[in-house]
Amino acid sequence: MVSRPPTEDELVERARGGDAAAFAALVRDHEEIAFRTAYLIARNAADAEDAAQVGLTKAWRALPRFRRGAPFRPWLLTIVANEARNRRRAAGRREGLALRAAHELPSGDAAPSPEGRALAAEERTALLAALEQLSEDDRTVLSCRYLLDLAEEETAQVLSLRRGTVKSRTSRALGRLRRLLDPQLEESRV
Amino acid sequence: MSELELRLSALRDELAWPETPRFELEFGRRPARASRVRPLLLGFAVLLAVLAGVLAFSPGARSAFLEIFRIRGATVERVESLPDVPVQRIDFGERVDREEAERRAGFALLDLGGEPDAIFVRPDGLASVVYGDPSRPRLVLSQARGAIFDGFIKKTADRGTRIEEVTVDGERGLFVDGPDHFVMFLDENGLITDESTYLAGTVLLWNRGPLLLRLEGDLTLGEAFALAESVE
Repeated sequence: MVSRPPTEDELVERARGGDAAAFAALVRDHEEIAFRTAYLIARNAADAEDAAQVGLTKAWRALPRFRRGAPFRPWLLTIVANEARNRRRAAGRREGLALRAAHELPSGDAAPSPEGRALAAEERTALLAALEQLSEDDRTVLSCRYLLDLAEEETAQVLSLRRGTVKSRTSRALGRLRRLLDPQLEESRV
Repeated sequence: MSELELRLSALRDELAWPETPRFELEFGRRPARASRVRPLLLGFAVLLAVLAGVLAFSPGARSAFLEIFRIRGATVERVESLPDVPVQRIDFGERVDREEAERRAGFALLDLGGEPDAIFVRPDGLASVVYGDPSRPRLVLSQARGAIFDGFIKKTADRGTRIEEVTVDGERGLFVDGPDHFVMFLDENGLITDESTYLAGTVLLWNRGPLLLRLEGDLTLGEAFALAESVE
């Protein structure tokens, strides 16, 4: 007899009934994105760890209120994000995002030339620096959409925004990011 | 996807993310719901005079306002420190049936999509639908005509309390979550009429048409939003 792994809905149902092992199985797949969500908001690894752990615990307790059939991941991330926001307000040391060292980066199909690698590294650094210059609202929405790869709907839920707001804020933030990367664009607007 | 979006997406794999810790997922038995929800506090008469006096006559309390948030019918003030006064419970008024509550409040009551366990109405027109044991409510949705005058409900919170301006169904709202904050009801002259409370739970205040809605419970912002959207 072949048994299949339980679906997310089945795990949710078992966890709602008090099965802690089912809940653990449910959240294992989301640990990394939960932690990274908390990190992008709190900007401090220790606070992010704390926020994610507390968020997971709160999610366990709040699971009976989880709406059946709703997607689990954004619900979980919303709780974690709220915890991270609370810690960000408490304001400890905030860390800037950093790039991995060049030798750690995944290699592409063809090995780039040293000049190509240098140019790519320079572009990445400039992009990250520009991202860090954006306002917190702009940076957070872009981080959710592109650094966490959350869908528009998920981003809306995690940031407690309407989907339309996420769409417009993303568009405006991309515009501002583009102008930071290419000041000539900004000059041409004046 | 534009080139810039592709570059941002590529950045995901190039960031030096902190290593994801292994989280503790050994949860014990989930506590019973009733014990998890902190009780709302009832009863208020003694405090009113004390707190009203403190706010009206204490220069320290007046001058220490750090931030003021307003939506129609509600004002939330952040102060340096809360006055040291005894805290008591909100009086939701008289327990009545829905028809009587609607008659006294002057509008059709909204609820969270399920039949409430109790309905109360106060003489000033604030009606509350209560879920759970009325002496230890799990959720309370209070509602009043917020347009009667500005500042029907006034809250005072200290630095540790999170006050966030939010939008619920396109209308303005305030999410208040934190250790301690007081709530007061004001009359049409902006004077505290009768009550204050110590709120252990979370409150989402928002406007819907002419109404001021106030949802209280042990909720995250996401949960409060989900419930607010279910109000009908």
